[in-house]
Amino acid sequence: MRHTRDVHTLAGPYAMDAISPPDRARFDRHLARCEDCAREIASLREATARLAAAAAVSPPPALKARVMAAAAATRQRTPAPEPEPALRTRPLHTWPLRTWPLRTWPLRTWPLRTWPLRTRPLPTRQGRPTPSRRLVMAAGGVAAAAAVAAAVVFGVSSGGMRDQLSQAQASSQQVAAVLTARDATMMTGAVRGGGTVTIVMSHSMRELVFTAAALHALPASRGYELWLIGPAGDRAVIMLPPARHGMTGPVVASGLRPGDHLALTAEPASGAAHPAGRPTTPMMLDVVL
Amino acid sequence: MPSPPDPPGLTTCLRLVARGDADAFDAVYDQVAASVFGVVRRVVRDPAQSEEVTQDVLLEVWRDAAKFDPGRGSATAWVMTLAHRRAVDRVRSVQKESERERRTAVADVPFDEVAEAVESSLERERVRRCLGSLTKLQRESVTLAYYGGYTYSQVASLLGVPGGTIKTRMRDALIRLRDCLGVAS
Repeated sequence: MRHTRDVHTLAGPYAMDAISPPDRARFDRHLARCEDCAREIASLREATARLAAAAAVSPPPALKARVMAAAAATRQRTPAPEPEPALRTRPLHTWPLRTWPLRTWPLRTWPLRTWPLRTRPLPTRQGRPTPSRRLVMAAGGVAAAAAVAAAVVFGVSSGGMRDQLSQAQASSQQVAAVLTARDATMMTGAVRGGGTVTIVMSHSMRELVFTAAALHALPASRGYELWLIGPAGDRAVIMLPPARHGMTGPVVASGLRPGDHLALTAEPASGAAHPAGRPTTPMMLDVVL
Repeated sequence: MPSPPDPPGLTTCLRLVARGDADAFDAVYDQVAASVFGVVRRVVRDPAQSEEVTQDVLLEVWRDAAKFDPGRGSATAWVMTLAHRRAVDRVRSVQKESERERRTAVADVPFDEVAEAVESSLERERVRRCLGSLTKLQRESVTLAYYGGYTYSQVASLLGVPGGTIKTRMRDALIRLRDCLGVAS
């Protein structure tokens, strides 16, 4: 008991880094299992941040150029990249794109909950499993719980989803080409605001097929727009056609590039030049390629 | 949300920085560099070293922007926590006796001079006023720890007060500051 009380009293010193390394380690361990303490530290750090702001002094102008130059030469860290054992064991076809980093970080920075989504490799003609990838999507808002439940259902019944995809517009050669690509990978996820999304992506073709189900209905003046967001800038893919029987699409997004994210936003029906409210649009769905 | 909240767009900019957006990083620099440099200089004192540490901090912001989690505090708090810790790490890594003496002299700087040579700002006045609302021991504990970079046990020996008392005063002081500054808990 006394030990615990001692640890609590370290909150003030901890928030100001006025603490020895052993005490810091002790408090870190404590924080990991004390939600209240973590909240208190966060709130105290809002206060100490103000102490910093009150001491603000403009740095020498030359510093900015040095920092920007150093940043340009510094590789960014991506927390805990997902291992991709399936890719390492794949016997053939060293597609350049298979080295794309599988990054989940943008979603961690969102204030809403995130869920890892299961990837269901499609069977290939050779009967070999295709590489497994993980897709992470963010979901939130009032419909979050229901949307996640829906996502789970979709994940489990991936075969059924594939059938729906195939039936929806089998006439489209482009769609069929992606669906039957030997590296086609299916991913499903929940959309913030309601609905689920299914994507079949072929890295080798740099294309994906996108369908959505049970998206939140929008007024006639608005529609869903699909975007690719990445280092190359924002690219509008398409305004999604109106849903039929709750199903939207399929549509094809081409020209995927490393680092791209797929986003779904609600926009005026005429379309937008840039996704509105990026990146906090409630309807936004993020897919890390 | 903290009050005042993050400068418009700092959270958004950090997200873009996490995706490698150099323009967003430029905007982040403009928003935080003065505060980072200010607090680092308070703690480190030496101008050249302060610039080095400031550069390190901003590079860390670039490199680790993906680690920022808005669910666990404001973007400003995240950056300033990094900055202060880096500054403290720098001064504590210098354990030479002469350095300690120099820093003891620094510790005598009264809090009124904390914002010395700082551009006048409403924010500074508010912080000064709130620091002024603390008890003398609370205020000294905070200024020595935060601006001086001392550990609580060093503060305790500098002020001739038991370590347990200082720990408690620091926490009480930050809670009062938080409430005075209108930071939501």
